[in-house]
Amino acid sequence: MGASGSGKSTLLNTLGGLAAPSEGKILIDGIDIYRLSAERQADFRREYIGFVFQSHNLMPYLTAQENVMLPLVVTGLTAKQKRSMAAEMLERVGLGHRLLHLPSQLSGGEQERVAIARALVNQPPVLLADEPTGSLDTATSRQIMELLAEFHREGQTIVMVSHNPDNRIWFDRILTLSDGAIVADSAVGDQVANF
Amino acid sequence: MRLETIVLQNLTRRLGRTAFLLIGLMIGVTTVVTLLSLSDALSRRAQHELERFGANIVVTPKKDQLELSYGGIQLGPLQLAHKEIDEAQLAGIQQIPNYRNLATIAPKVLGAVALADEQVMLMGVEPRAEFKLKRWWTLQGRQPENPAEVVAGSAVAERYNLRLGQEVELSGRNFTLVGLLNKTGSQDDHLLIAPLPTAQSLLHKEGQISMVELAALCHDCPVEEMAAQLRSVLPDADVNPVQQVVKTRMHALGQFRLLVWGIALTVIAIGALLVFITMMGAISERTREIGIYRAIGYRRSHILRLVLAEAGIVSAFAGVLGYLVGVAATWGILPLLDDGSAHWSWNPVLASGAIGAAVVVGLLATLQPAFRASRLEPSAALKSL
Repeated sequence: MGASGSGKSTLLNTLGGLAAPSEGKILIDGIDIYRLSAERQADFRREYIGFVFQSHNLMPYLTAQENVMLPLVVTGLTAKQKRSMAAEMLERVGLGHRLLHLPSQLSGGEQERVAIARALVNQPPVLLADEPTGSLDTATSRQIMELLAEFHREGQTIVMVSHNPDNRIWFDRILTLSDGAIVADSAVGDQVANF
Repeated sequence: MRLETIVLQNLTRRLGRTAFLLIGLMIGVTTVVTLLSLSDALSRRAQHELERFGANIVVTPKKDQLELSYGGIQLGPLQLAHKEIDEAQLAGIQQIPNYRNLATIAPKVLGAVALADEQVMLMGVEPRAEFKLKRWWTLQGRQPENPAEVVAGSAVAERYNLRLGQEVELSGRNFTLVGLLNKTGSQDDHLLIAPLPTAQSLLHKEGQISMVELAALCHDCPVEEMAAQLRSVLPDADVNPVQQVVKTRMHALGQFRLLVWGIALTVIAIGALLVFITMMGAISERTREIGIYRAIGYRRSHILRLVLAEAGIVSAFAGVLGYLVGVAATWGILPLLDDGSAHWSWNPVLASGAIGAAVVVGLLATLQPAFRASRLEPSAALKSL
């Protein structure tokens, strides 16, 4: 958590293999991400990381099902497998009846669910979520957080960025950032910064 | 779903941008196809006309010495041993490999006949072939249709005050004057023209031919080769290709084609520029999208394929549509440029070339934008998120 500009998204991008740290290294499953070639980094992201971006960022020209299939397109799965995995994941997030809708035909909450389904369809060990509820109303935000909590209960590791203090109730561990530095870590008993 | 599916969905669901690129390229292809089709049709028409307009091979009896004359001015004696060509030998012309390239074979016999106590040059011809060959001849009256009919050149008609329908006595035999040649400004004005057998009989040259003019209809005119073939079947004759005519024709057509190709290449370059600018714009506009693709695990090569496939599909469609519209335009424009005798004809090389060139130009012009897209760093692309 942290205020705007505190470095939350940068931290997430660094963890996700999108932006190399200026010093230090990122180890996931014992793999030093930034020692991999650019192409292998792409493969790593596909296999290990699921991203949920701010404001959904779905492809406007693809249906919900096609959007969810995107990470599977560059795998060796058959078309049938891709379709069925995407449909199954959309069913999981409560959108089994909206498979063939374009993003413009979905509500904000539904688009966020599609984004979550896309991030998790290839079952990555880590889900990185950058303010997934930032553009949603309170009720819809709560639904999305419940959905993420459900995945977490099933064993999904989730690293989520938020500047909304109301979301603290959902988190197991809270790192608070300020000016690019961790100023509090709830796991070691520090106070969470009051912002 | 495959990468190509993503491309197709993008193209079909973003019709505005797709249509802009498609129409831009299509106009380029249409222009090139129309220009080349028109040039092809008009060239063939021009070539056909040129080839029909006068002989490009002349067959004369073998001579024993060089002629000392130019433009009708005699500077020396005629050859000592002049003999005619045996008419029977002309059947051999049909045996040459390029016989089908001979549009017109116009044999003729020449000699002097008596008209009003004077000597006049009589030329015996096969009227249909001769008038086809000499399209610049215009006639009052008509061509001779039976053995007792003749046509007079303008100088002869003037000198002897000849009128259409008049009876004319030539070397003691009566003929009807059925045609008067309008003035040509050439030796033809001084001729009387009769059917070949009649003239041969009047001149006592039965079975003899004084010369043969041939019009060879051929795309690139292997006239020298055809002359060699004719020499082999006409051993007693000199066969002379009229090089100057052929070279002039080919030069004129070559210049025309050069101009058309110059315009076509300019249009192709403009088309390439249009694709380049459009694709560069599309890449900038889709930086965010590319960032997402990269973030969810697409390799650089996948991005490259996405962009190039998009350009390839649009270019192929533009090529096909451009070719069809170009053909339609050629159909529409040809009658305006010509009297209707030039025709469009199916040219598989142009069809495949137009579509192939559209794809190649589209892909080449997209290479740089595609590489640029594939090298976008995901973090930089995602900054706009």
